[in-house]
Amino acid sequence: MIDGSLPSDAASSGPPGLLEVEHLGVSAGSRKILDDVTLSLPDRTVSAVLGPSGCGKTTFIRCLNRMVELSPALKIVGSVRLLGRDLYDREVDPALVRRRIGMVFQRPTVFPQSIFENAAFGLRLVHADEDEVDRSVMDALKRAGLWDEVHDDLDRSALALSGGQQQRLCIARALAVKPRVLLLDEPTSSLDPHGTQRIEATVRHLKEEIAVVIVTHNVGQAARISDRVAFFHAGRVVEVGATPDILERPREALTEQFITGRFT
Amino acid sequence: MSAVPASGWADWFSPTELVRFRRRHLVDRWIGRLVPIVFLVAIVPILDLIFWISQRALPTLTWTTLTTNPTGNAGGLYGPIVGTVDLLLLGLAIAVPLGIVSGLSSAIFLPFRWGEVVRGAGDLLVGLPSVILGYFGYFALVIYFGWGASLLAGGVTLGFFMFPYIARASDQAFSSVPPDLKDAALGAGARLRQYARRVAFPIALPQILSGIFLAAAIGIGETAPLLWTALFSSYPPTTLSQPTGYLTGLIWNYYDEPLTFGTEVTLAFQAAFLLIVIVVVMNVIVRLYAERSRKKLEGLYG
Amino acid sequence: MSSPLSPPEPPARPRFRWAQVPPLLAAAFPVALLIGIVVTLAVAGLGFGWLLNPSVNWNPSTGDPSQASFGILVFVVGSFVTALPALVLVLLLSLAIGAATALYLPRRVSLLLNGFVDLLAGIPSVVYGIWGFWIVAPVFGTTLNPWINTHLGFVPGLGGPVPSTGIGIPLAIFVLTLMALPLTAVLVRESLLAVPVAYREAGLALGATRYEVFRRILLPFARRRIGGAALLGFGRALGETVAVFMVIGDATKLPFNFFDLSFTVPGVLVGQFDSAFIQPNYLAALAQLGLVLLAFSLVINVGGRWLVGRVGRGGIAMPEAA
Ligand SMILES: Nc1ncnc2c1ncn2[C@@H]1O[C@H](COP(=O)(O)OP(=O)(O)O)[C@@H](O)[C@H]1O
Ligand SMILES: [Mg+2]
Repeated sequence: MIDGSLPSDAASSGPPGLLEVEHLGVSAGSRKILDDVTLSLPDRTVSAVLGPSGCGKTTFIRCLNRMVELSPALKIVGSVRLLGRDLYDREVDPALVRRRIGMVFQRPTVFPQSIFENAAFGLRLVHADEDEVDRSVMDALKRAGLWDEVHDDLDRSALALSGGQQQRLCIARALAVKPRVLLLDEPTSSLDPHGTQRIEATVRHLKEEIAVVIVTHNVGQAARISDRVAFFHAGRVVEVGATPDILERPREALTEQFITGRFT
Repeated sequence: MSAVPASGWADWFSPTELVRFRRRHLVDRWIGRLVPIVFLVAIVPILDLIFWISQRALPTLTWTTLTTNPTGNAGGLYGPIVGTVDLLLLGLAIAVPLGIVSGLSSAIFLPFRWGEVVRGAGDLLVGLPSVILGYFGYFALVIYFGWGASLLAGGVTLGFFMFPYIARASDQAFSSVPPDLKDAALGAGARLRQYARRVAFPIALPQILSGIFLAAAIGIGETAPLLWTALFSSYPPTTLSQPTGYLTGLIWNYYDEPLTFGTEVTLAFQAAFLLIVIVVVMNVIVRLYAERSRKKLEGLYG
Repeated sequence: MSSPLSPPEPPARPRFRWAQVPPLLAAAFPVALLIGIVVTLAVAGLGFGWLLNPSVNWNPSTGDPSQASFGILVFVVGSFVTALPALVLVLLLSLAIGAATALYLPRRVSLLLNGFVDLLAGIPSVVYGIWGFWIVAPVFGTTLNPWINTHLGFVPGLGGPVPSTGIGIPLAIFVLTLMALPLTAVLVRESLLAVPVAYREAGLALGATRYEVFRRILLPFARRRIGGAALLGFGRALGETVAVFMVIGDATKLPFNFFDLSFTVPGVLVGQFDSAFIQPNYLAALAQLGLVLLAFSLVINVGGRWLVGRVGRGGIAMPEAA
């Protein structure tokens, strides 16, 4: 039941993506941060949200699990559907949305607890039984590619880990509650090349089971790990398509300028 | 907050998780509703205090109350009002320059470690029970210095009392000047001293003024530091060496007199009323002023 | 003097300037004042050797001063039985205020409500005293204390006689709670708000409710500072002088039960100083007691400040997460 395979999965094959974003707009006062964004994010795929700093990438993925509502100043229009179900429906509680659509932030946010307790954080919220917690934590640490490094000292403080390990622990923590979609907001921007490489390897594995949406302003990273790219500029989607198509044969001038580094 | 999810979610979560979620959601919602009630613990006493003290003070509070001296079991508040002002001014005359310069030094001139020592000592002074300062004032100033119980001894003790508040405000004000300005000024060849006076001081001033106001508001309400240094008097002081009355002292001396013989208790309530008005007004001014200057400061950063 | 071609001179050591003296003296002043206070109380208090003893026998003015006994147990007990319950109340209230501010209330509302809490700090001690003595005491004496006594009388300490004036330990706890609340509330509030928004968001992103974010993230992160805030609030309550003196009844005996009159250390310092003027060993004993209180206060404040560390400037930081 909570293993992440949703019953309607089989039915929704093909074009209708796992997450459907339609006419999404976000504004702060009179200023539009996102304007009429329509996107389809398929299952078992890494989708990269690419674009220059300040173009609304963070705001966009925060819309996908209603984190955006934590900023009271922002007004949101349009719809986001997970398997056809509108996430912004009044009947839907954001806390439940976030248990199926997990999120990892720019900087690692490990809590001042042991590695194990960090990974178990989301499970403890629902008082899952100990065996289940043990199994889920192990599974999540493996999927996040951290198990081999930490399985001997799960009781050590998570703060003792390196930045890259901490970020993978955050991924494990998000995975432990078995989300259907994982959102990553520039997860490597605070990491060194080695840490970045490990995260990228982890992300490539994750898509075997779930959908991943990763924000990056790094064209190389998008090329290395994503299957699809959506290029954002000034709050709008400029173009979207398979990664090689977008990065090698962009149709739009803005996209080409960005990926060739001639961006102004 | 949206409603607890309906059955439409059954296929996304296990039944146990849904049940538990419903419970967690309700706990959160009720805590969110109940917790703000704690503010009543602050609001009710404040309103009760203001209401009842006004109720006891106002019916017989007249212009004469403010312009005649207390006389045994009748009279007004004139002497203590003047004494309060005199003590406060004398205290500020000591605490303001000393506090500003002390904060300036700890924030700008001294190396960080020494600044921490100065700030730590200031924090300890703020944390001292005020009766300790009263003892200090009595033994050191009244006895050892031989000043006797006087306006001078009371004012200086009150100055010592207010000093750490002003020093702390000044330290924080100077510390919160954007560091780029310091680099820019020193980079342009200014001396530290010139930077402090020409650049940092104007920026820090509003915050320092708030601190002075706050210190004065706290100082005006103090009793214990003055009881044996200024002692008490019903008449306005005419020299620095005379004992001096003050509003808090009047309350202290009169609050438990019997109700049947005179108006002392009413006079004490009237003194309390004046103090509340002064303190509340000063607090509101500081708040509004701080809000305004904070905005200005943000403009500077932005 | 140096030619343009000679190597640059090493930077001169900062020269002594007279202009540096006043700022340095002012900076040294807090330390000097602190030392001055300690030395003065020591000089005033230690002229007759050590006078205090840990008994309940406080009997300073016998016909023969050499027969006087300065047992301080009554005051110490009185201080703790009032300050400790006040501390518990203050801590619970502060946590609730902090949670409401950090998680539940919109910024504007919480600014207004916290304004009232801050205002509590502005009311002069002696005003709390006269209000407690005349206005609140009757409510305690005729309503609250008898009610507790009737319904919870089976609890040890809550049974037995109840003075009808309302003066006594419960009223002192009440007044102390109001007086110590603002400081602790501000510190707790700021330590909760100082937990980086990223951590709250991390919790919310895992599907935690706001309450769970408070319990499992804010509290553990801010634990140390909250402990410091509690300690500082305790110091405030232990040192509070005038108001407690006015509402506690000033009985030089151990309290019979929770509703009884009592006396505190600062209370006896402020209340008996006048009587001690003419009797040197009495005055010295009070100065010694002042020294004890001073030492206590210093220890508690050093500990509290150390735990709290330096929380940013005052005011309410902006909580991003609602
Ligand atoms: N809560 C907010 N209120 C007002 N403006 C905001 C808010 N959040 C983001 N913005 C603005 O929206 C724009 C896009 O921000 P963001 O989504 O963080 O961009 P990116 O992640 O692509 O760098 C920025 O110009 C930012 O200033
Ligand atoms: Mg961003």
